Formats: sequence, C-alpha cells, structure tokens
Amino acid sequence: MAPWMASGLIYASALALAAGGITLLYITTKTFNFAHASMATWGFYVVYSGVVLIGGTPYQYFPFAFLFGSLLGVICYYGLNRPLLGRRASDITLMMSTLGYDLILLSAIQMYADYLTFGFKLFPRRVSMGLFDFELFGTRAAAVILPLMAVVFLSGLHMFLVKTKFGVAMRATIENPVLAGASGINSDRIYLVSWVIGGGMAALGGAAMAMAITGTPVLGMNAVPFMFAGAILGGLHSLYGGILGGFVVGMAEYAGVFALSQRFGPWVLGYRMGIPLLLMAATLLIFPRGLAGIPWIALAGKLFGKKKGVKV
Amino acid sequence: MLTIKGLNSGYGKLQVLYDLSMEVPSKGITVVVGPNGAGKTTLLCSIMGIANIFSGDLIFQGASLKGLLTHLLAKKGISYVPQMGNVFADLTVMDNLHMAGYLIPKDEAKIKAEQMAVMFPVLKKFVHRKAGTLSGGERRMLAVAMGLMKNPKLMLLDELSTDLAPIIAEKVLQEVARLKNELGITVLLVEQMAKRALEIGDTAYLLVSGGVKYAGKASDLLQEPDLCSLYLGIKPSLLKSKSLELPSSAEGSG
Amino acid sequence: MTTGNGLAVKLKNFLLTREVMVGLAVLTFMIYFYIGRGLPMVLTILIDFAVFAIITMSLNLEVGYTGISQFGRVIAVIAGAFAVGAIPGRFMAGFMGLPAGLSYGDDAVNFQVVPQITALLENSWLLSIVFFIFCILIAALSGAGVGWLVSRPAIRLKEAYLGISLLAFGDFFMWVGHNWMPLVGGSTGVFVPDPFRVFGAARFEVVVITIFVFSILVYVYLNKLTRSPFGRMLKMVRDNDVSAAAAGKDIVKIRTQSLVIGAAIAAMAGGLYVIYTGTVTAMGFGRLTWTFWPWAFMMLGGIGSTIGVLLGVFVLTILRTLITIYRFRIFGFLMAFGIDPVWLEFTLMGAVIVGVILFLPYGLVPEKVEPILRSSSIKRLLGS
Repeated sequence: MAPWMASGLIYASALALAAGGITLLYITTKTFNFAHASMATWGFYVVYSGVVLIGGTPYQYFPFAFLFGSLLGVICYYGLNRPLLGRRASDITLMMSTLGYDLILLSAIQMYADYLTFGFKLFPRRVSMGLFDFELFGTRAAAVILPLMAVVFLSGLHMFLVKTKFGVAMRATIENPVLAGASGINSDRIYLVSWVIGGGMAALGGAAMAMAITGTPVLGMNAVPFMFAGAILGGLHSLYGGILGGFVVGMAEYAGVFALSQRFGPWVLGYRMGIPLLLMAATLLIFPRGLAGIPWIALAGKLFGKKKGVKV
Repeated sequence: MLTIKGLNSGYGKLQVLYDLSMEVPSKGITVVVGPNGAGKTTLLCSIMGIANIFSGDLIFQGASLKGLLTHLLAKKGISYVPQMGNVFADLTVMDNLHMAGYLIPKDEAKIKAEQMAVMFPVLKKFVHRKAGTLSGGERRMLAVAMGLMKNPKLMLLDELSTDLAPIIAEKVLQEVARLKNELGITVLLVEQMAKRALEIGDTAYLLVSGGVKYAGKASDLLQEPDLCSLYLGIKPSLLKSKSLELPSSAEGSG
Repeated sequence: MTTGNGLAVKLKNFLLTREVMVGLAVLTFMIYFYIGRGLPMVLTILIDFAVFAIITMSLNLEVGYTGISQFGRVIAVIAGAFAVGAIPGRFMAGFMGLPAGLSYGDDAVNFQVVPQITALLENSWLLSIVFFIFCILIAALSGAGVGWLVSRPAIRLKEAYLGISLLAFGDFFMWVGHNWMPLVGGSTGVFVPDPFRVFGAARFEVVVITIFVFSILVYVYLNKLTRSPFGRMLKMVRDNDVSAAAAGKDIVKIRTQSLVIGAAIAAMAGGLYVIYTGTVTAMGFGRLTWTFWPWAFMMLGGIGSTIGVLLGVFVLTILRTLITIYRFRIFGFLMAFGIDPVWLEFTLMGAVIVGVILFLPYGLVPEKVEPILRSSSIKRLLGS
C-alpha cells in the first residue's frame, strides 16, 4: 500500500467516526457539537498517556479513549445541553454553549500537556504516534486495524440501532420526538445515550487521527472544520450519511493532495485544507441535503435509461 | 376520569386556551368539536405536556398531571394519537407497534401486536414494510393500533378523519366506538367530521376561540341548530332528518 | 413631576444613562490601573479594549441587529490585516525603487525594505498621514469586498450551516497567508511601515489614542446607523424575514449591506492592529482570538445592544489583564505541577460563554426594545 493511501485510510476512518458523532448529536439533540474538537484531542491524549506511561500498543487504549470521550459527553449533556434543551434554546445558542465547553476542555488539555512535560519529562506537544505502531501485512498496522475498527464499531452501532429495543427507540425519537414521548420513551435517556456514543466517537476519532497526523494540543481544534465538512457532506440527517461524508472528505483530501502534488509539486501540501472545504461548499450550494439527499436512484435512472422498477 | 380546571395554555408566549374547564367522564366517548383555530389540538397537547400550561390544573384519576413530562403521562395510561406525524415513517410497521408498546414487557407487546393485526387486518400484510410507505388510511389505522398497544385508560384521538376518504373515515369512527365498548377505554376525540363524531359520542364540548361554548350531551348539541350551523357547518335541514336516527346510531351511550 | 427641580431631574437622568454608567466604571478601573501600574498598563488595556471593541461592535451589527450567524469574524480582520501588510508597503517600495513584487514578502528582503520606508515616513508628516489614511482605506475596501463575498452564501444558508462554513473559511484564509509567502511573508510574516514613527518617543501613546478615538467614532456611527430607519429595518429582517419581505423590503440587499458595513469596520480594526504591532504574521489570526473572543465579549455584554457590547469588551479585557498580572500570585499553585497559568485565559473565555448562556441569556445590558417613535412624539400624536 502506498504511504499516502495508508495515511489516507487512517485519517478517513478517523474523520468518519468523528463526523458520525457530530451527525448523531445533531439529529438527536439538534446541537452542532463544537466540543468535538477537544473531545477528539482528549481521545488522543488518553491513548498517548497509556502508551508512554504504561506501555503496550496504542490500540489497547482505544476503549479507554472511548470511555473518556463518553464521560466528557455526559458532562456536557448534564451541565449544558439538557438545561438548554429544556429551555428550547435556538441552534446558535446550543452551538455556542458547546463552543464554551470546548474552550474549557482545550485549556484543560494545555494544562495536562504542561503537566506531562513537567512531571514525566515528556514532549506531549508534538507527538508522532506512528512511532509506537508496528508492521502488519507489509504496511503500518494502523492502516489495517483502524479502518477495521471503524467498520466493526459502526456495524455494532448499526446493529444496536436496528436490533435492540433501545436502539429502535432512539431512531423513533430522532424521527418524531413528540410521538416517541407519547409512546412512553424517555427522550432524556435517549439524548444521554447519544452524548455517550457521540462523545466516545469523537475521542475514538481523535485517537485514530493522531495515528496519521502529528498529535498536538490543537489536533482537534484544527481538524474540527473537516469533521463538520464531513457531517455536512453527509447531509446531517442520517448517521450513515455522516459516516460516509467523513470518510469521503478524509480520502478526498489525501488522494487530492497526492494527485495535485504529483502534478504541481509539493507546495500544494500547504493548501490541503482547501479540498474538504471546496467539497463542503459545493455540497452546501448544490446539494443542500448532502450525499444522502442526492436522488441516487433517479440519477442512475437518468444515466442508464429508465429501467423497470426504478422510480424516477 | 379527567378533569380540567381553568386551563390557560399555549405555545411559548402565545396563549391559545383561555380559562377552559371540562370533564371527561370514565368509559365514554367525549367529543370536542369546533371551528379551525379553536384550540382543539392545543387542548390535547396541553394534556400531553407538549404545550405550555400557564395556569389551571389537570386531574387524572385523582392526581394532577401538571408539569409531568410526556413520557411520564404515557406511563400513567394516557395514549395520544396526533393528527400529523402519528407513525414513525422510518420504522417498519412491527417496530412501530413495538415502540408504541415501549412501556409494556416484550412478550406482552408481542401478543398485543398480534391482537392488533387481528383487529386491523389491513396491517397484517405490511408488518415488515416501512410505515412511510403506507397509504393515508392504513397509516391512520396503524396510528390507532399504536394508541391501543399499551392498554391505555384514556385515549386522545386527534382528527381521526383527516386525509381519509369519507367512507373510510366513517369506518374508523365506527371502529373507535366499537373499541370503546369492547375494551372499556375512555376516549377523548377531537374531530372535524363533527356530525358523525357527535353521533357516536356521549359527551360533547364545542370549543370556540379557546373557550368552551357548549358542554353537554353529544346528541343534544346536534339539536342546537344555531351552534351547529354557525360553528360546525351542519345545515339545520340535514339535522332534522338525521337527528331522528340518532338513538340507534349512538348505541354505546347510556 | 415638579418643574422646579427640572434641572436636577435632567441631571439625574443623564447620570443614570447607560453610557455614563459604563463610562464611570471604565474610568474607575483606569484610575486603579494607573495608580497601581502606571501609564503603560493603562494604554495596553486601552488598546486591547479599542481594537476588540471595534471588532465586537461590527460583529454585533451582523449578529445582534441582522441575525446572521457570523462565525467567521476573523475573515474580515484577516482581510484588513493582510491588505495593510501586503499593499501599502509595496506601493511605497515601488515608488522608492525597492523590490515591490512577489519578493516583498520574502523575509530576507522585507526585513531590509520596510525600515527604509519607515525611515522615509519618519521625516515627512504629510507622507505619514497620507500613508495612514491609505492603509485604513485599503483595509476598509478589502474588508467590504470580503463582506460582499461572504454575503453570497449568507443569503442562502441557514443559521448553523452558515456559521460552520464561515468558520472553516476563516481557517482557510489563515492557512493561505501562512503558506503563500508573497502575500504576508508566510510563516515569518512581514513588517508594516510605521506611519506613527514621525511622533518619535510619543509613538505608542499616539497610536493608542488614535485607535481609541477611532473606536469612539465607530460607536457613534453604529449608534446612528442602528437608530436610523436602516437599523430598524435590520431588526425587522432579523425578527421575521418573511413579514419583512411581505412588507416590501429587499432582504437580500439589507443583509448584504449589513455584512459589507460590518466587514469593512472589522477590517479597519485589523489594519489598525497591525499598524500598531508593526508586523503581520498569518498564524496570529486564528479563530480563537478574532472570532471566539468577540463572541464572548458580545454575549457577555448583551447581543443587540451596542453599549452592552462595549461593557462586555471592557469587563473581559480587564479580567484578562488581571489574570495576566496576578496569574503567578493567585494561581501559583499550578506552577507546582509545571502548569502555566496562561491557559486560564481559555478557561475564562469558555466559562464566560457557558455562564452567560446558562445564567445571563440576555447579557449584562439586555437589548432595549426601542419604540419606533420618540416618546414625546407618541404623546403628541396621542394628544391630538
């Protein structure tokens, strides 16, 4: 596997997880979660701390990253989101509140990094997690394990949403909160669980992302526009759309930069963030409902002639 | 069963209901009729904790409902079939029924869902189809079935006859009357098809501009030509000929 | 009401106006800092206050008055700062026969060219003034241009979608500045020729006073603008764009105007700021400082109230300064763990945003519902 492809796969899996989390939180609580940025960074620092302080491979600490992200999500839900939802705050207020929370988390990350530097003589402000990786099937283990982990996690999430009573109740609440409430479903618990899963996904995404790019205290803060780009590309009304959107954004960035730098030279690397942004802008202007909102079947029908049974 | 005392409610700052009082007697059909914008749906939303209650009280089986969240009201045995968005379009018919029976144990829900399929044979064909693909009439049937899933004590039905062909609407209303007799539940029915609803109802309330204009026996409201023609669009000439048949069609009253 | 002590009532009413109250509070703190820390401290606070007051007032025009979710305030600031960093110096270099093309941004060249320009400016009052005015104009123009560009998607997109797009593009412009050396020197930045060097030793004081006066002018202008029929129209569009459209208002035009004016003002602040610091470094224009801080100021002060916004900027500037001054004295225990208390600034910013949203949703000075007519004319109309 070419190096850019390996990194691209890791990065795209990370974005898929993070954008999925953003989408999940948006469709349940109508909150654009800015705190995804620092939740992701915390995920990275949990894995980093585990590896340098305890030892072993990064992957064994991913579950802890998930749990820590969930914890941050639960705090956000009880401290901020729940009171505001009760007050029927506007989307902007909900978004701003998570921004405030993000800044608090960011300062905590910075202090933690200071502490790691001082207390353990580490260099936590520029970390190449790739150094802790090993080789698997002739390529970096992360390029195999992380996409696999993303697929397993997301399939698990899918099974949860389709097969379990609570998962179905979650989908019911997403679609029609009023009727779900009237059916006796406690929306409070649904929102709490979506913060648990969403926060965990953010942290997993951050931990995975650090395997592809340099881990810094502002890892998540710099990446959050791409997470949102993925979620927006996915259309923000289906979890699967968000996951796909994140993956497409990540892959497009790596493939695009690779192709362009081959053609124009390495200076293109500096402008790599233009690719996801253009994707997002194009989506918003041309398909405001995102990838999931494009009438794929109708398009196929137009392209390949009207076939029987294809709704146009 | 349900007593409403001096209810003032609405949405946000907008007040819709003004000092409304009513009594929903046990094991009967209470019909709420009135022109558009009278606050009929808001009344149901206030009971269900969806609208904001500014003052007044709601007493259900001796306990106040005020301030309870919607899912807790569902727990108390009130089920609500809204006019719009009354099924989960993305879920299958079976999942819809199971969600409606969220509060009862799983095995019981299974049995209950089968009962519903017997009661509404239309649904049997579609158990694994998404509810969004059903026709208007089928959806309405599913919604009523969902309302019955958790053995409610009180059922709030909002505009059952909307988007149904008149014949089917009549059938659904007949079904409600039958269900009430069979299962012994209390029904609070808000209805546009005022005449038909009043025929199957026991008690009636006429709501106009957020207040009660008439309260009494349902059959008596149909004898008030002024109110009927002014607010319900029922022509007096029609009333006279039909009202003679009333006792026979309102079989459940008494 | 008795007519005898009319003057006293008038005086009392005047003293109780929000402007005077805020002014007194500001003055008290300034005296405190002057006594405790001397003039440089006061001037430092003043300049922070003035620059952010201009930016936050422009943000308030767009968010509070027009209802646009402007999460890309940094875009306009960047437009102003980059324009002042890239254009006026090149003009001067061109006239003086120095390298003015793409290589102007190269730090090895820039480091030699700019001092020569400054040396020229230092000797000519006229040239300095013309140069300064040119800087401000070019900043305002590029700000207005960026504002117009931003207004294109702003008309189509819904609240949060727009906010996120603007935020992302703010980051993008910063990265462009960081990577494209000819613009503002890439990662090393460029120097800005200093039109205030002509004042010699009093340079710092004069810069501060100029920017402060500028912020007052912006306040007066925005106050006038928002109380004009245009301002009422903005609020009408904000509160209910459908009914405003039904009343025959051209919503697209109104939103565009508001965005262009707001961006031009913010860009001027960006331009003034880089003239004050004397350098432009792209990485210095991140969203934390130039978008989120102004949001925090605005939310604390009260969205939609210009005087509230000023108060918000002032209170937080003071708090930031206090943290900087006393960080070791109060938060010294953090040092025992190797933690730099400087990060508390982020904690403060986050806590202010969260706290305001939860406990003070309308800010320190809530938006006043202003009747369309003055009370005297309402009385007159009712009387007749």
